[in-house]
Amino acid sequence: MKPLSKFLSDFFMDTKNSLMRSFGEDPGKMLLHTGTLGWILSSLAQIMAVVTNDKISKKQKTFLIPQEAADAAINIGSFYIFTNSFTKLANKMVSTGKWRTPAIDAFLKKYDLKKHIGSYDFNIKELANFDEIKDAYKAIASGNAIAASTIGSIISCNIVTPILRNKFAAHRQEKALARIQAVEESAIIPPRGVSMDTFQKYAAMNSSRSGMKI
Amino acid sequence: MRISRRPISSTPIGRAAKRFSRSVGQSVLNLMPSHVFTSERAINTFKNIGKYVTPAENRAILGLTAIFLQVGIDAMNHRVDEETRKISMARTAAKVIAGTLTGFAIRKALIKSVDAFSKLPGSVGKNGKPVTLTKLNTFFSPVTKALPNSDEYQNYKNGLGNVLALIVMLFTNFAIDWPLTKFLTNKFAAIGGVNNETSK
Repeated sequence: MKPLSKFLSDFFMDTKNSLMRSFGEDPGKMLLHTGTLGWILSSLAQIMAVVTNDKISKKQKTFLIPQEAADAAINIGSFYIFTNSFTKLANKMVSTGKWRTPAIDAFLKKYDLKKHIGSYDFNIKELANFDEIKDAYKAIASGNAIAASTIGSIISCNIVTPILRNKFAAHRQEKALARIQAVEESAIIPPRGVSMDTFQKYAAMNSSRSGMKI
Repeated sequence: MRISRRPISSTPIGRAAKRFSRSVGQSVLNLMPSHVFTSERAINTFKNIGKYVTPAENRAILGLTAIFLQVGIDAMNHRVDEETRKISMARTAAKVIAGTLTGFAIRKALIKSVDAFSKLPGSVGKNGKPVTLTKLNTFFSPVTKALPNSDEYQNYKNGLGNVLALIVMLFTNFAIDWPLTKFLTNKFAAIGGVNNETSK
């Protein structure tokens, strides 16, 4: 059996090598995966911040806690879907040669490959002579992936998520307030000899005294 | 009962999903314009984004755009009453500011730290002289057969720094983001004149 220190050392080395393989070539993927993990962690903290804030009223919490939960679910989902789609499309634009530099254009012309430009299965990186334009290709590919990932994140986190989470949270608040009102109403017992209807009207007119809204 | 161990992608459903995804991908690609970037400026912009936009800058860009977009969207949410709308705006602004400040600072610090401890043979110090490799300054260096391309190595260091930053943020989210968001929410709510009832 491997001693623990050897196991940990091998695990650490494997992790570093695996990160080198996956993040080294594709910084867009790195931003996507670490971004998703980051949103999961920050959402947890934000929910805790609302739950424990004494200065936010119970009524406001009925809106803010679902808002945070919706924020978390929608944020993580939309972040992954939008950022992944943008990054994939941007990577495809470069790998299929749709977006290229003059050096890549000349390379494709030299090997009579221009007819394959924009074909989904065409990948410049997999060509046998790729080393000839490796540097020119990577100069544009990394920046392109990072820009796409950043734009995808802005659209998902700063536009799609806030709109969706507000719709979801407002719906939840309406339902929660209706439930609270129903519970309050059912707990009211009118004084003997007075009908519930008359009592409710009286209470509504004297809200300053009873502090109860019907 | 025997359970098939075939990968999902080789099942009929998997193959159909792959064909569908390929066909959608091809249609989207067909819609996109083909372009040769001839200007040096455009090519340099791509190079600079790849070189200078680390996960820390990415987080800062997200935060700066969030202040305008997210708070604006909350301000236009008329499905809730005015008081709730105001506190929602205050919270969003507080959350964005707290998250961006800590997210940017921690990522930047961790990426710098990883850089200091990921030296390779041939690495040059600030004084222009080759760095003597030690166990400490190669702590985060991966073992590769050949020396990695400098851009790929920078991507690796950014990625590792970001992963470590996320681990650190497991704690700072609660130690810094959480109280800072709470503090800023109450400040912004007071500025907006929101009546914050004390919860019972």
